[in-house]
Amino acid sequence: MALLIAAALACALIALPSSAQALEVTATTARSNSDNDNSIYGGMETRVTWEAQTASDESLSTLTLDYPDGSTIPANQVKVTGLSGLNRITLDYTVASVDADTVAISFNTPTQAGLLIRVEASKAVLPAEGGSLSVSGSATLANGAQVDIPNGPAMNVVGVSVAQQLSNKLSEQGWVQAWNQNRLLHMFFDPTIIVISIPAVFHGWLLALLMVVCSFPIAIVIGLLLCFLRISHVGILRFLGSLYVNIVRGTPLFLQIYIAFFGLPLLGINIDNYLLSVIVMSLNSGAYLCEIFRAGIESISKGQFEAARSLGMNAVQTMFFVIIPQAFRRVIPTMTSEFILLYKDTSLFAAVGVMEMVMFARSITATTGNMTPYIVAALFYLLVTLPLTKFINIFEKRLADPSHGHKRGGSTPSPARLTDEETTLLESAPKVDSEHVTATSSLPGTQA
Amino acid sequence: MTEGNQPIVRIEDLHKSFGTNEVLRGVNINVKRGEVVVILGPSGSGKSTMLRCINLLEKPTSGHIWFEDTDITAKHTDINKVREHVGMVFQSFNLFPNLTALKNVTLAQVKVLKRSKEEAREVAIRQLERVGLGDRIDYYPSELSGGQQQRVAIARALAMDPHVMLFDEATSALDPELVRGVLDVMKDLARQGMTMIVVTHEMGFARDVADHVVFMDGGVVVEEGTPEEVFDHPKSERTKKFLGDIKLK
Repeated sequence: MALLIAAALACALIALPSSAQALEVTATTARSNSDNDNSIYGGMETRVTWEAQTASDESLSTLTLDYPDGSTIPANQVKVTGLSGLNRITLDYTVASVDADTVAISFNTPTQAGLLIRVEASKAVLPAEGGSLSVSGSATLANGAQVDIPNGPAMNVVGVSVAQQLSNKLSEQGWVQAWNQNRLLHMFFDPTIIVISIPAVFHGWLLALLMVVCSFPIAIVIGLLLCFLRISHVGILRFLGSLYVNIVRGTPLFLQIYIAFFGLPLLGINIDNYLLSVIVMSLNSGAYLCEIFRAGIESISKGQFEAARSLGMNAVQTMFFVIIPQAFRRVIPTMTSEFILLYKDTSLFAAVGVMEMVMFARSITATTGNMTPYIVAALFYLLVTLPLTKFINIFEKRLADPSHGHKRGGSTPSPARLTDEETTLLESAPKVDSEHVTATSSLPGTQA
Repeated sequence: MTEGNQPIVRIEDLHKSFGTNEVLRGVNINVKRGEVVVILGPSGSGKSTMLRCINLLEKPTSGHIWFEDTDITAKHTDINKVREHVGMVFQSFNLFPNLTALKNVTLAQVKVLKRSKEEAREVAIRQLERVGLGDRIDYYPSELSGGQQQRVAIARALAMDPHVMLFDEATSALDPELVRGVLDVMKDLARQGMTMIVVTHEMGFARDVADHVVFMDGGVVVEEGTPEEVFDHPKSERTKKFLGDIKLK
């Protein structure tokens, strides 16, 4: 702003000594190029109209207009007319481009003095960044005097993202128009909406990933603690552990989200949405991880406990140095499944207005009435889940491979009782989800 | 090891029930320092259960077990302390499958005896060499034969400097050609004066190595004595029948 004033002052200072009768710019406007309102968008074609009143003794021989930096003004689309009162005066002129945003108009016969000069630039594209833009320029009078034209009134141009520009470009393409003739392709795979959706959904993708990456480690800690409660020898601890696990796993996450997001504010507790999401996800996933860890620990043969204890290790040492390192390897596939589930479950937070991937997609669908953003969101989910699923498969193969497995050392002659326990345990552990079932069923202990 | 006549392990009227099934019905056994005691008996006679009671892997229902001067069946006894001095070798080896042979042997030294990593490593290498596996220290259990795994398990127990070693059918899970290597290691140990309580079906080993043979059946000690007494002049009919069955095989 200060710069503009300084520039205007400078112009005024330069203009004043050369001529007292400067052109007076009366209007700088652009036609709205929005489908919805009267906004003027940058980066899209519009028509810019510039008007200036010449003084009663001024007649122009040339006029150079400098449109905002970054504009594209096709010289052959520039139309100049003169207005005297209500009369339209045809002018004899030629237009040349100085550069992309500057045109030079030379009048073959100097304009009549006192005319209102109107310059209409069609198919003009204002800069995509938008802003408060105005047109400056200079003129040569018939008497040879140079006149600088100060900035006229500014136009408010709405900025447009690169994606929007690309989308606009695409919508002009013949093949895109043909593509969108098909109702299915248009509603679900519209290229112009795909390019708009990608940056927004990507933003949501990062947020969803951040949510799950923050909550999963916390869930692991909670899961381990719960697991220790559940295998504890103290009855009350075991009871508390299973109470928590059964309540959390026995109610939908969706309901838990509602209770947390609508209940806490009622108690006067206001927590940032993302933080609360992470807390809810950690508490929920911790219960599932608890059962996964318990299945893993109980799949380790009794002989491992006995060997460690017979060497004088206490229960805690046995757990941390012998059992958990082995159990951890076995539960990696199931844990990865749980990670995938948790990652997908971030979408549930859209229901309480957390801006995650589905929410970003939905906001575009809401303005376009098109399903394409949801398809883009689906692809972003797959971007994470497919490689992880692949990883699970590879890891399971490795665990099943005898050269990597621990057949000889791990199997005891009498594991029958334990295996039965494992089977029931593994059936009760997973969420009702096919991924879980396939992953848990591959714990090495159950394959024997 | 001090030679002497005071028992290192004294089992007195040991009872153990699993639910309504009484597996041990009053067992009395004394093991002297430096002695090799071999426990024989048909399956289900309670010999493994008895052995597992000595380091409280099974909790006795009643009776007393003294290890050195400690009554390990007393409530206040720190069983972990006792277990440091009682080495155990299992039928199914129970090596830690995620650790190399060397790490299997060092783990408890570092965590329980608080030895430095260097010292534990030195001890481990010495013990692994003692069981003939000096060239296998970086192998994982799955890369070793059953016999080799069992020898690692013996080295793992020996590294804790036990005062007594318990062998629970240490060769029963092995292929016949691998049994010999493990028995040789056990014979060496016996020769070096280690106190050993061995549950086995290897009659040859019992005859050659045992100082004292205990024959158990039905949860009680039926007969005991020197190998000559038990093998050549058994008094009890049950012992005779058991030895006869073994010979028929």
